[in-house]
Amino acid sequence: MSENAQLLWEKYCEQEMTAVAPLLASLGFALELNQPQIGGERFLMQAVTTKNGRKLILFARRASDNKRVVIKITRDKNGRGELLHERKCRAALQNITFAYIIFLSPKEILFANKGGYTISIQEYVEQECPFLERALEEQFSTILKAFEAQEGAHATTFGHLRSIIKTFGKINAPQYLESYQDFQKNISQHSFTDEHTRALLQKGYEILTSQKETVEQYCDFLTHTDFVPHNFRIIDENIYLLDHSSIRFGNKYEGWARFLNFMTLYNPKLEEALLFYVRNNRADEELVSLKLMRIYKLGELIWYHTKKLDKASGNFRTLTEKRVIFWSNVLEAILNDTLVSQEITDKYKSERDALRSPDETERQKGLH
Amino acid sequence: MKILIATPLYPPDVAPSAQYVKELAKRLTAEKHSVIIVAYARIPEKIPGVRIIAVDKNKPLPLRVLVYLFALWRAARAADIMYVQNGPSVELPVTLLSFVIRTPIVVAISDKNAYKRTREKMMPKFINDLVISRARKTIVNMPMEQPEILPFAAQPTREWEAYNLSWEDHIRDLIKTFNHV
Repeated sequence: MSENAQLLWEKYCEQEMTAVAPLLASLGFALELNQPQIGGERFLMQAVTTKNGRKLILFARRASDNKRVVIKITRDKNGRGELLHERKCRAALQNITFAYIIFLSPKEILFANKGGYTISIQEYVEQECPFLERALEEQFSTILKAFEAQEGAHATTFGHLRSIIKTFGKINAPQYLESYQDFQKNISQHSFTDEHTRALLQKGYEILTSQKETVEQYCDFLTHTDFVPHNFRIIDENIYLLDHSSIRFGNKYEGWARFLNFMTLYNPKLEEALLFYVRNNRADEELVSLKLMRIYKLGELIWYHTKKLDKASGNFRTLTEKRVIFWSNVLEAILNDTLVSQEITDKYKSERDALRSPDETERQKGLH
Repeated sequence: MKILIATPLYPPDVAPSAQYVKELAKRLTAEKHSVIIVAYARIPEKIPGVRIIAVDKNKPLPLRVLVYLFALWRAARAADIMYVQNGPSVELPVTLLSFVIRTPIVVAISDKNAYKRTREKMMPKFINDLVISRARKTIVNMPMEQPEILPFAAQPTREWEAYNLSWEDHIRDLIKTFNHV
């Protein structure tokens, strides 16, 4: 199955690259030889992401000045919709005045429909060093400012924000619960899922249900649901958002939760620092809300990987199984108000690194 | 003393004036005063021993001001003092109420940014002038904002001492004012 998915993706890439290279050349852009964003596990991401259509993310140079650019190009209906939505969100974001930090977007160089394709070209934002290679204190202060800036946009406070909710979309506590139930049901029905994971997910559901009001209490805030280092760049003190399609109005800790879950794996010290901050500076209900959103996001993540199992075989399959198990361990830790042990994380990391394909290892370089 | 706090902002709102009201209510309650808050909020953060009446903002403006007015009216009848935080959405119902109830009103300019915006527009400025004219006193000085406890820094002990001192002074001055109006 995996080979099929991979072959289909490779065939798609090959066909599309043949068609788009001359098209982009006619617009004055030359594709780079190395295209990491279409290699590695990208085929699996495309295969399991049903809401987004197929699209290529490519690196190129502008012929006139050799400037590096990022090109998103598609002729798929859903892919086109996603590019349009992202563009709308990018424009709407500029209308929000944030309190402490400015969210910038890479400059749009071209947005056009040509030869049956929708093409979005932005300047490539070069940063001095990846987020995770910065000093821990700098990571902490930058990310805290970014979250505070998002929290400054509370839809119930300012009239003008209500008008842009439609652009970003909105989610409330019943919808979070409904989504979690879907994740739980789908994961539980999968043959790979054991009784222990089912019990964990059920415990998560019970906690979310019993604290539904706390989820709702912190809703209506602007939040980026995929706020992780590969989706932003830091230049001086400004944050450049690379992914605008994941912004919505929801629980203000949804973005925090995604980020903290990510840091469980990539930088547990930063996770601890952010938890320390919330524990010592925010209301008790906020700490609870953060825990609830971490449970929600872990349900989503476990489902994301479980879904990939059907498309994976060989090393990919084994790696995906390891991922499901690791994130279930993290869920168990969060449910027990603790952090997953370093031993479990290290073991998973070494297994993951051994199972990753060379292409994927290449794609991951400097990504975070 | 039975103190009614009328406020346009209350946590989960993140504005400093929202945090001010919550901290004030906590500290007044600790000093054995009875506190009721009437706030524009949907699910306000709880404070043990404090009754919070929440008026949902997610209503058309005239309706929510009307709902707020009635909530305030019911709460004000039993209060010894009405401590009003600035902002047109609260100032308007308080002004209207001031003609029918005798509860003394003290106004606080706790949201300086909102105050600046209010003074720039004709109608909000008029409402603000009116509520100040109906108030027995206007409080401008606010206590310090809570110092943050950060993971990679030493405990802000001195800042906390100064913060607590500023609050002690503030509460003492407020109670003195409330007793004399």
